Amino acid sequence: MYKTNIDLEEMSQKEAIEYLNETVKPETGAIPAYLLGDQKIYDLEHKKVFLKTWVFIGHESEVPNKNDFITRDLSGYSVIITRGADNQIRGLYNMCTHRGMKLCRADAGNKSSFTCPYHGFNFKNNGDCVGVPLQKDIYGADLDKSQLGLHKIRVESYKGLLFGTWNDEAESLDAFLGDFKWYIDIFAGRAEMEVMGPPQRFVIHSNWKIGADNFVGDSYHTMVTHGSIAKLGMVPSATYSKKGYQIHTTNGHGLNLGTPNPDFAFPEELKDEYKANLTEEQYDVLSNLKNMIGNIFPNLSFLISHTKIKGQLISNTSMRIWRPIAADKMEVITWFLVEKNAPEDWKRRSRESFILTFSPSGIFEQDDTEVFTDITAAASGTMPLVKQLTFNYTMGLHRKPVSEFIGPGVVYDDKFTEANQRNFYRYWLDLMTK
Amino acid sequence: MTIERMLATYEFEQWLYREAKLIDDIDFDGWFSLMHPTLKYQMPVRVNKEGTERPDYALDMFAFDDDIELLKIRVDRLKTDYAWAEIPPSRTRRLVNNVRLIDYVPNEKAVVNSYLMIYRSRSTDIHHDLISGERQDEFIYENGEWKLSKRFFIVDQTTINTRNLAIFV
Repeated sequence: MYKTNIDLEEMSQKEAIEYLNETVKPETGAIPAYLLGDQKIYDLEHKKVFLKTWVFIGHESEVPNKNDFITRDLSGYSVIITRGADNQIRGLYNMCTHRGMKLCRADAGNKSSFTCPYHGFNFKNNGDCVGVPLQKDIYGADLDKSQLGLHKIRVESYKGLLFGTWNDEAESLDAFLGDFKWYIDIFAGRAEMEVMGPPQRFVIHSNWKIGADNFVGDSYHTMVTHGSIAKLGMVPSATYSKKGYQIHTTNGHGLNLGTPNPDFAFPEELKDEYKANLTEEQYDVLSNLKNMIGNIFPNLSFLISHTKIKGQLISNTSMRIWRPIAADKMEVITWFLVEKNAPEDWKRRSRESFILTFSPSGIFEQDDTEVFTDITAAASGTMPLVKQLTFNYTMGLHRKPVSEFIGPGVVYDDKFTEANQRNFYRYWLDLMTK
Repeated sequence: MTIERMLATYEFEQWLYREAKLIDDIDFDGWFSLMHPTLKYQMPVRVNKEGTERPDYALDMFAFDDDIELLKIRVDRLKTDYAWAEIPPSRTRRLVNNVRLIDYVPNEKAVVNSYLMIYRSRSTDIHHDLISGERQDEFIYENGEWKLSKRFFIVDQTTINTRNLAIFV
């Protein structure tokens, strides 16, 4: 039914989009392998997804004070996120408007202005060009510095999570997150949360979508890939991850809610703060939560994990982005989040559990990276395309969503389903073929 | 340098070579037996600073932050049938050099700094990973043996170019 001599590189963009429409079938659970390794798809993704949607760039607590800044990648381009003297958070393209040199090379710091290392142009941290060396002498009276301000990036935040976009026509972040905000409230807005330390960064030879797919809906793999965790007694059983709900909303967002939990996974001392920040229904979910794993489209994955370490239960909250570097390569950037008002000892134990489980040395994390690498290698190149190798995403297609759940979205009362991956790829395909 | 310090430097060089051999030979139990019960095993996150301000690593975030119990969990895990990250194990080669005796009290304690280069090869992959950095180690002398009581590994990359740290530093 398809062309058998397929060569995506030979196709025009229009033909490639037609081919995507013919071969990617989220609703019936057929996702072709070539999406994970093809250069043309990767290039198209950059234009159609990463330059169009909101992409996570950091947390407000990473720039807590006036004149604090961090530098981050926004879809392949370096940006400076600053908190101005007016307390406003801004995003600026990290490029001097005079000749294009990168202005700032530090990961973080505190500065009210940035000076270009090339010719010394100086920019205030709101983007205004405020200094040009020898200006009067070499430009005369004609240089209009107000036209030389740094390029500004749209930055919006929700519950401390900062997102940026290159798309001036993108809908508001609020609209983009939509119903999914109900769950983000529990993850990022249950209390005053702060990022501890700098993010951790490492590179994996993997397509970025495998990470997003894994977090958005793949609870099934935990039985096997993470079998060692049950063996070590850190979770009760290998099928621990099946019980709970899988939920998705529009725009490809989705999460898996592990419930019930006989233990309260968070600091008891903060119950009043949680109640003040959450609705009664959201607090009910929090009280019964054993884990929460999800993905905000396209590449921000988040996690609350509750495990037993040294005989004591402890939870940790983290986020990571799967930053595409190439079709077969990504940088993983991981943040640890903690309740600002939690007891110091609880924070220390929570960080310890994060490092042990989901940092680059994490004993959950490391087994995933092995899988991601091998999938990418197998899906890359021409063969998977011409042989039309296709992955089966039909798990749970026979199930009907439940209607009595207290939160919004399409909800299934079993985490072992691939409804969220189908939803992720549906939105991905919508953007790619627009 | 006194003869005593020369001999001690040699002794710790040999200690570090032996450690490298045990761990490269994936003798995790043998390696673990070199640790002191008060062990602190840390690898801070390295960061890019504006200028020459130091330290240029985080004081509050780590890629490893283990005590003896957590390190035991990692070693035990590698012996389950599910530790996929190291099935089959990476081929590693730990090259230890620039060994310097910083502090030394005979038969009691020592501080030893060294440089470390880890070569890592996995499966049939022709790519290899290189992990380089400085170790700041502390030792306690107990029952006639030097045991490692602290390791602080300062890695030379801010973005680590290896798929995971399922291996030890």
